Amino acid sequence: MLEAVHGLLASVGATPPDLDGIVVGVGPGGFTGLRIGLATALGLGQALGIPVTGASSLEALALGVAEVAPPGALVVPVLDARRRELFAAAYRSAAGDALEELAAPQAIAPGDLADLLDGLGEPAWIGGDGVPAAGGALDGPGRTLLAPGARASRVSAAALVARVRAGAGVPARPVYARLPDAEVNRRAREGARP
Amino acid sequence: MTGPILAIETSCDETAAAVVAGREILSSVVASQAELHAPYGGVVPEVAARHHLGTVNGVVDEALDRAGLPLDGVAAVAVTQRPGLIGALLIGVATAKAIAYAARKPLIMVDHLHGHIAASWLAPVSLDPPFVSLVASGGHTRLDLVTDLRDPRLLGQTIDDAAGEAIDKGARLLGLGYPGGPALERLASTGSHAAHEFPVGLRGATRDFSYAGVKTALLYAVRERDAPPTGQERADLAASYQEAVLRPLADRLISAAVDEGVPAVALGGGVAANGRLRELVGEGADRHGLRLAVPDRSLCTDNAAMIGAAAQFTEAVPWPDYLGLDAVATAPPGGIAA
Ligand SMILES: [Zn+2]
Repeated sequence: MLEAVHGLLASVGATPPDLDGIVVGVGPGGFTGLRIGLATALGLGQALGIPVTGASSLEALALGVAEVAPPGALVVPVLDARRRELFAAAYRSAAGDALEELAAPQAIAPGDLADLLDGLGEPAWIGGDGVPAAGGALDGPGRTLLAPGARASRVSAAALVARVRAGAGVPARPVYARLPDAEVNRRAREGARP
Repeated sequence: MTGPILAIETSCDETAAAVVAGREILSSVVASQAELHAPYGGVVPEVAARHHLGTVNGVVDEALDRAGLPLDGVAAVAVTQRPGLIGALLIGVATAKAIAYAARKPLIMVDHLHGHIAASWLAPVSLDPPFVSLVASGGHTRLDLVTDLRDPRLLGQTIDDAAGEAIDKGARLLGLGYPGGPALERLASTGSHAAHEFPVGLRGATRDFSYAGVKTALLYAVRERDAPPTGQERADLAASYQEAVLRPLADRLISAAVDEGVPAVALGGGVAANGRLRELVGEGADRHGLRLAVPDRSLCTDNAAMIGAAAQFTEAVPWPDYLGLDAVATAPPGGIAA
């Protein structure tokens, strides 16, 4: 992570003290990767005395999908959440990198997401590494699935910054969208108790 | 490395930062998560990692504040690299790397066990080698010969459970909750340690430890009763069990020091906070004319000051050569990456 930061700064002839602020993706996403990104951003911000602002990784992905969809279309960013689930949300795109949230970010089974999209009842543009992970469950009439390798299917750091510029910055705290297993098990035990 | 060191420790369930200059601790801040893990009956790695991330930056700020130093005033940043819970270690390592990188400081990757061993070098205990060190905690039980703080030599270690783990398991069997150490010690102080004969693990001239047998013996002792033990009976079981865990630690520490011909022994790790262990080691040290070095309780349990101490006996990595270095869950062969 930090090697990439160092390489990027060097490539534009900058050093860390030249920075005025840092934007970091807060997820949802893989827990460990999310935390390394946030810890790195927060450590840099702390040492440099500059603000660190979060942006939703799903919203950033939605901006990429919106670029290849018609204006005002329903865009659905999907990330592979493992365990046969996706991290997903649904937005209507608008001018100026604006997004109207139609379904909040959540961990969801691919089949349930397909039902959710049916309920919204309009053509949807779907992109992200959750497309191949869904294994065909999202296929259907009125649904455009972006090719997995496409640029629009990746969370781009520039799109994170665009979200903050559009006024959609959030605190630099991880959005896990899922409880720790131990907590799920503990609640199940408590619930099972007579 | 001369000059103050900012040290960060997140290997298990304490988020800690400290500023150390030579033997002097300028500040040491520990945010404990123990209460967060209590409902689960043990440390949950995912819960620990989540909590470290929300906590470490504030703990670092407070350590610098209390030391009265700006970040620019530190000579290097040190961090626990291994061993520990990988998700927990990663938070400290990513944070320390980012801070050191932004501030153009060298980074020192420290072994957690090296930290426990170096804790008694700090003032006011200020122990210098040669000595034999016992580190006993929930994760570790080991004896090291320290003739040079840059290179502790493993003499013996547990072949199954750690001593602190055995204590926690015993406390659970006796219905004392988690963490069990302090509760077991309190209950044991009202019982007789001679009431029950528990197996003392490995016998003979070994320097290793084993706690599987004593744990099973307590399990059977509790199960063969019709009802859970109460009152004096429970206190006697606690005292006898605790004695069976602690006595081999004290005996092997003292005999290793005598065999190696060193003038001092040191205690470290959470179990070193146990008063009965201190008593047993103290008696042995007196008998053989050894100096007993026991750091304050706050330096025995996990903390960052000890990482700052070990950092002064570990090679620093110059800026920015550490950008690709990572946390490691396991101990290296031989036990310590010093
Ligand atoms: Zn420890």
